[in-house]
Amino acid sequence: MNKKIVAILFASGNESKLNELTIHRTTASLPFAGRYRLIDFTLSSLVNSGVTRIGIITRNNYSSLMDHIRMGRDWDLNRKNSGIAVFPPFVLNTSREVYKGKIEALYTVLDYLKKAPEDYVCVSNCNIAANIDFDAILDEHIARGADCTMLCHKACVNSSKRVIITKDAEDRVTDLCAVEIPSDEERLISLNIYILRKDLLISRVEQAYARGYVDFEKDVLFKEVAGGKIFAHEHAGYAAIVDDVKTYYNESMRTLETGVREELFGTDRKVYTKVKDSVPTVYKDKAKVVNSFIADGCIINGTVENSIIFRKVRIEEGAVVRNSIIMEHGIVMKDGHISYAITDKQVVIGAGRQISGSETYPIVIVKNKIV
Amino acid sequence: MRVKKECVAMLLAGGQGTRLGVLTQKVAKPAVPFGGKYRIIDFTLSNTINSDIDTIGILTQYQPFELNQYIGNGQPWDFDRLEGGAFVLPPYQKAKSGEWYKGTANAIYQNIDFVDRYDADYVLILSGDHIYKMDYAKMLQHHIDKGAACTIAVLDVPIEAASRLGIMNADDEGKIYEFEEKPKHPKSTKASMGIYIFDWAKLKQYLIADEQDKSSHNDFGKNIIPNMLNAGEKMYTYDFSGYWKDVGTISSLWEANMDVLDPRSGINLDDPDWKIYARNTAEPPHYVGMNAKIRNSVVSEGCEVDGEVVNSVIFRGAVVEKGTVIHDSIIMPDAVIKSGAEIRHSIIGWNAVISEGAVIGETQKAPEGGEWKIAVIAPQAVISAGAKVAAGEMIQEEGR
Repeated sequence: MNKKIVAILFASGNESKLNELTIHRTTASLPFAGRYRLIDFTLSSLVNSGVTRIGIITRNNYSSLMDHIRMGRDWDLNRKNSGIAVFPPFVLNTSREVYKGKIEALYTVLDYLKKAPEDYVCVSNCNIAANIDFDAILDEHIARGADCTMLCHKACVNSSKRVIITKDAEDRVTDLCAVEIPSDEERLISLNIYILRKDLLISRVEQAYARGYVDFEKDVLFKEVAGGKIFAHEHAGYAAIVDDVKTYYNESMRTLETGVREELFGTDRKVYTKVKDSVPTVYKDKAKVVNSFIADGCIINGTVENSIIFRKVRIEEGAVVRNSIIMEHGIVMKDGHISYAITDKQVVIGAGRQISGSETYPIVIVKNKIV
Repeated sequence: MRVKKECVAMLLAGGQGTRLGVLTQKVAKPAVPFGGKYRIIDFTLSNTINSDIDTIGILTQYQPFELNQYIGNGQPWDFDRLEGGAFVLPPYQKAKSGEWYKGTANAIYQNIDFVDRYDADYVLILSGDHIYKMDYAKMLQHHIDKGAACTIAVLDVPIEAASRLGIMNADDEGKIYEFEEKPKHPKSTKASMGIYIFDWAKLKQYLIADEQDKSSHNDFGKNIIPNMLNAGEKMYTYDFSGYWKDVGTISSLWEANMDVLDPRSGINLDDPDWKIYARNTAEPPHYVGMNAKIRNSVVSEGCEVDGEVVNSVIFRGAVVEKGTVIHDSIIMPDAVIKSGAEIRHSIIGWNAVISEGAVIGETQKAPEGGEWKIAVIAPQAVISAGAKVAAGEMIQEEGR
């Protein structure tokens, strides 16, 4: 037995609900927490758990992802015998179109999986920000004799498209159900990260593909529940699922909580990202910054409160940034005011301009726009 | 791919840097942190790669482990090449003998084989303890244009400073006719920056001859340069203008860090055409708390700042708790400043802990002609709650 994991990540998913934020990019390459892309969290968790063979399945707009990952060196994945493999969209000869769901997508990488020496697979989306110890989860998976271990966490059903898990006292999954209506009730929610035995996954995907199934969760996982060998692993620390603008904004703001930062970054399991060699951030004489998360390379001479500031942002004198997310290379010029907004990369807020969204509906300003 | 390199750089990183006291007890001077996220050596390494020189030997014999680990395969500076790259070269046991580097020239002498391996035409000699940005490619072109055997980079210094430095006396063409070490009555204000380009074949001759001379100090400044001048070799100055600072003392290290805060100082680190690279430590962005007041300072990744920080440099991973006051100071990586501590005109070493209410250093008026009195806390030292450390005091790791 080779008790190790090969990982398959889906770079795309939920783009339609992330609106302007994913016009130019995949969900995986969505900037998050000041200097990261969402995929960094999954990649780093895997690497920190000793997983060195990682395949990433893309569907569209994946050039930003390729530019971010390059050869995988920043995650120590530039390996001779394993490392990172990015799969561009594969057009099936039979359908003459790009794959529709996870089953077709997995079908296109079966050769890669079959060749991999690892006996277990981690299948994951890239819209999760969490620091996960896959090593411990695999040990648990093996000890339980599970067919599949589903990662989950306790949270409010704050978005549609969540899968709710019901389990028994031994963590055996007894029911899975997809919700369409959000509620404030706290439930056990799937993180869409699965650990499976590789040969089992391959046979299930082949069977499902042959029958024309599309949805991995509904057409495969839900049906397996009856077999009683699907287990849930509850992730104890912070985990964010980002699948629409509202969850993106809310989860970003939660990184201002000390406890959340500690659970994401405060361990020796570091989160890696593309190194850009920015200088440290400069605070000028008129800077007033409180409760904010600020990346390197910024020049700040204005007021910043309750905000996430990415690398190389410039906040000029008299400018006020509140409850906002300013992505890389953003500029808020003199006396510009911005609150409850998400400005994408290279957005410029002109001198004296005022932009204001609301807590429940933050404004998104598209990449490269000048306001 | 050709193995031959037109120019190989040799970086003299052997010095202990005793004048930096507790900061260089466990690391060599080039590995001392600088400017929020860098180490002193990053400037020379970045200059080298930015000048399209991709092969560099780093000569070290004092605490080599830290430097070796820091440089690794050279990847952060783009030195991970198929042929060439960055090599840490400590002294090694040879067939007949083995010895420490006796002097700067001897360090190169002991590594003649390394330079020969790349069949270099020119060798660039650097030192790893200066903060500056310089295009060595331009200096090399100057060397070639002049047909020189040796070119020495010089900086115009104030006449008062000239008597503390090595001064090059040259004619209008820049041809050197005399070299004076710390002259009482300087004839020129062109000070050597310790940056030399030699024709390798020529230098090799002089290194071999110098090694035969048992009375020699085996030093570039004391022996090789004077010997070449006496023999009538063509030696030229290369004028450098711009920011340049020797950070060999506590007060110059402190001043150079303060220069990072001053846009008029001329050291612009944020230059996309001349980036300074450093090994990255994968820290998250820094978090600024509810009670923070940060002005005229630089703060790097991984810090948590909740106190008052004015005119200071906060290195990566440092923690500044609520109610602290930090003025005109340098807080090195992963240091922890607990609530109520006051720090003025100080350097706090990496991983040091300043406990609650401790007072380090004091506010000073700009000294006239002299140097600032900078309090220094050793790396890893723990300063107990309420302790007082006077201006200019240096505290060992055992703390107080």
